[in-house]
Amino acid sequence: MKNKIAIALFSAALGFAGAAHAEDMVFTSWGGTTQDAQKASWAEGFTAETKINVTQDGPTDYGKIKAMVEAGNVNWDVVDVEGDYAVQAGKLGLLEKLDFSIIDKSKLDPRFVTDYSVGSFYYSFVIGCNKDAVKQCPKSWADVFDVKKFPGKRAFYKWSAPGVIEAALLADGVAADKLYPLDLDRAFKKLDTIKSDIIWWDSGAQSQQLLASAEAPFGSFWNGRLTALAATGVTVETSWTNNITAADSLVVPKGTKNKDAAMKFIAHATSDQAQASFATATGYAPINLDANVLMDGELRQTLPDMQAETQVNADMDYWAEHRDEIGTRWYAWQAQ
Amino acid sequence: MAMTATAEGMRRKRAFVGARGGSFGYLLPALVLVVIFFIVPVLMLLMRSVLEPEPGLQNYKALLGSTTYLRIFLNTFLVAGVVTIISIVIGYPVAWLLAIMPEKWSRLVLAIIILSMWTNLLTRTYAWMVLLQRTGVINKTLMGLGLIDQPLPLVNNLVGVTIGMTYIMLPFVILPLMGVIRAIDPAILRAAALCGATSMQCFTRVLLPLSLPGIAAGALMVFVMSLGYFVTPALLGGTSNMMLAELVAQFVQSLVNWGMGGAAAFVLLVVTLTLYAVQLRYFNPNKAR
Repeated sequence: MKNKIAIALFSAALGFAGAAHAEDMVFTSWGGTTQDAQKASWAEGFTAETKINVTQDGPTDYGKIKAMVEAGNVNWDVVDVEGDYAVQAGKLGLLEKLDFSIIDKSKLDPRFVTDYSVGSFYYSFVIGCNKDAVKQCPKSWADVFDVKKFPGKRAFYKWSAPGVIEAALLADGVAADKLYPLDLDRAFKKLDTIKSDIIWWDSGAQSQQLLASAEAPFGSFWNGRLTALAATGVTVETSWTNNITAADSLVVPKGTKNKDAAMKFIAHATSDQAQASFATATGYAPINLDANVLMDGELRQTLPDMQAETQVNADMDYWAEHRDEIGTRWYAWQAQ
Repeated sequence: MAMTATAEGMRRKRAFVGARGGSFGYLLPALVLVVIFFIVPVLMLLMRSVLEPEPGLQNYKALLGSTTYLRIFLNTFLVAGVVTIISIVIGYPVAWLLAIMPEKWSRLVLAIIILSMWTNLLTRTYAWMVLLQRTGVINKTLMGLGLIDQPLPLVNNLVGVTIGMTYIMLPFVILPLMGVIRAIDPAILRAAALCGATSMQCFTRVLLPLSLPGIAAGALMVFVMSLGYFVTPALLGGTSNMMLAELVAQFVQSLVNWGMGGAAAFVLLVVTLTLYAVQLRYFNPNKAR
């Protein structure tokens, strides 16, 4: 009897040691359908390949990243952040330098690669419209800002980020190649003209709810959320005229205890296969240049990188530099 | 019967006083917890507000010197005040009814009220969004009945925030009020009626003054909780009637400007503590009883 207990204890101890040995890491993103796809397309394959468990956490919170790094207690190993934040945070010393001996950057879209970050996926702010709810859908940003021709509420992204300011300037007649440096006075003046008709969305899920219920029958949306909404049977019309692109980035907060696993995860997530699978699931464009050939041709046509004709690339470096200044002004304007 | 109840009450009171006078030690675990996990972090936040980005009071100057931020402060008090008043007006009759209902029924109603408190806050707030929006159930019904021809703006504004927050705050008014009203001896009301008071006079001159401590306790609780509320105003309000907690979240999460965030949070804390002190001084429910 005693022996049996001893054996049980011994094997339990062994089991414990074994469990502790298997590596774990945490991936943090924005939740919702996007993170579901990241889990399915990136994390599951990664775990199968490397035996490293990936715990999902979220939503991404820049305050938390700063707190973790300053306290030296980093629980997030890889984080999906907005591109302009990645550039800024790298400069502020909040991020680990990426190990490009593990991550193959030769195949990655160079627009989104820095010492501290690589692209995660890239998306466009497009004009979305619930066709059943309005007589006619706006086709251009000027239309979206025209309350006479297109009465009713319109939806815009609430947070200070590339997208809305650019849309306002385009609507006011600024040429797409003359957007930067941003004329903030002009942009806010234009935004003033539709302010009382704006409903702000602060998450992708909310934007879908607004459009589907026709609470705001049109507005500016992430293209992938419209693809997902259309798949549920809502008659969505998407106008790609002057679609404004921005990318999310993958970063590693400084001081992570799982740096090696983090680099391997990024290498896997940005591989052609993982990127193709994520793009197929979400309607966002891959940042791996080899992912194209792995994707269904018809679906390929609906992704942001195929809509290059009148496309506007948000200038991430400009935003990184002026993020605080624009943000302070943005929120003050909203609150007025 | 009444005698035994009083004697029992006295015994309990002695035991309670004994414990309070006897050992401060019982308080220690809770106190340590509060100091480590609340007081220390708050002080650290305060330090940031005067040290970041450089030592000085510039964060407070920026906060209090800007009309935008002052508007947010005013709006915060406006919303908290309106929510408090409406909660009391709606909650008082409910509490009264609960206090005089047969126990069997009051338990059931109470269970319903408390059950709603246990449901996830976010779920409840989203539910209001679906009800109140322009294409929501309420507007559709009113339009279907021909009572209105344009949807009423019930959400993304002050109306939405007030409705959503009042609903969430109601139990915090009803529960203390019910306790106070129950403790009022019905004989006093009977006596008033016998002396010729109308039922209105019974209410305004007897019941209302006697239940004032309950109103004060409930009002303070609701007002203070409302001042720091985040989720409901963020989802049901518009940006032009932003509340302070949202401003703090913007500073901390989006702008990563902890100096300003700390300053805003600290101003809120000071105002809240001041109000609490005023309430203790003038409307202390324990003293009044």
